[in-house]
Amino acid sequence: MAIQPILRYPHPVLKKLCRRVEVIDDSIHELITDLVDTMEAGPGSVGVAAPQVGVTLRVCVVDVTGNRHGRDNNHGRLLMINPEIVARTGSSFMREGCMSVPDYTGDVERATEVTVRFTEPDGSMREICASGFEAVAIQHEMDHLDGVLFLDRIVSIKTGLFRRKNYA
Amino acid sequence: MTKQPDIAHYAVSVVGKDRTGIVAGISEVLFRLGCNIADSSCTMLAGEFAMILIVSHPRPFSKGRLHDDLKPVCDSLGMSLAVRTLHADEIARQETDADICMISVYGADQPGIVYRVTRELAAIGVNIMDLNTKLIGTPEEPVYVMMLDAAIPEGQTPEGVEALLGDLKKELNVEIGVRLVTPVSL
Repeated sequence: MAIQPILRYPHPVLKKLCRRVEVIDDSIHELITDLVDTMEAGPGSVGVAAPQVGVTLRVCVVDVTGNRHGRDNNHGRLLMINPEIVARTGSSFMREGCMSVPDYTGDVERATEVTVRFTEPDGSMREICASGFEAVAIQHEMDHLDGVLFLDRIVSIKTGLFRRKNYA
Repeated sequence: MTKQPDIAHYAVSVVGKDRTGIVAGISEVLFRLGCNIADSSCTMLAGEFAMILIVSHPRPFSKGRLHDDLKPVCDSLGMSLAVRTLHADEIARQETDADICMISVYGADQPGIVYRVTRELAAIGVNIMDLNTKLIGTPEEPVYVMMLDAAIPEGQTPEGVEALLGDLKKELNVEIGVRLVTPVSL
């Protein structure tokens, strides 16, 4: 169990394409534990992707249960290995910020509903249909696995002028 | 913007008729002077291009030097120039935990929309962070649109702010909407 420092842009790992996990061994379980610990330590964090802690593997965790936007519509704590979006519908905007790009926020368009298929830590496959804030969080974290930051998706030049001490 | 005590900061504003090359012209001077553009906002307002820049430079440096080097370029571009020295307490990082709302106001153009709405917002402690207005529609039927981002006081909700603007909305016969846009950390 260890909280890892969140890497910040311009750390090169954040722009790398992450590799698929081939074997779920102890190192993967350890990575998932680190991601969860790091997420829990972040102020209001609802997800962390492996590259944010320096690991270029397709692993991320998402948990919006404690967030006002997600607490009524979620699948609990999602521990996702090799996640893939197999269907997406709708479009909505949300002003996003990212622990890897502090002091900046911007409006990003995301699918309102996504069907995600992933491997769980015990090796079983799972498919969920997420909507609302949980869907946004999943898409944001999965973007990290492709080296895509929310800055790459901003569609409005309106930017956050104030640094946030905490995120709700 | 981060606070840097050994760095001099200036607020620079340049406004003039829009044309290509304004930003390049101004930023070239700043680059040659060794100035950094920290936060900035530049936009086209009607046919005018307006630049507001927070510029920094390692000391020693002077406002006069900055002004004197920018002046010829501004003159050649036909633009007005203003430079002001910022003191350390003016460049401190702004932090907030407040909820951020986008407030939209639109309706038939009439005098006082900005004043009446912002007076009401100030009275309830709403802090405007960004504000844009635009006159649209036709000369016969001009429509005024105002969009602003604002931090609302603790304990206040978008619905609450919208309700507090209800009477004004009726009086001015404009549409007023308040939506939560507080950034989410991912």
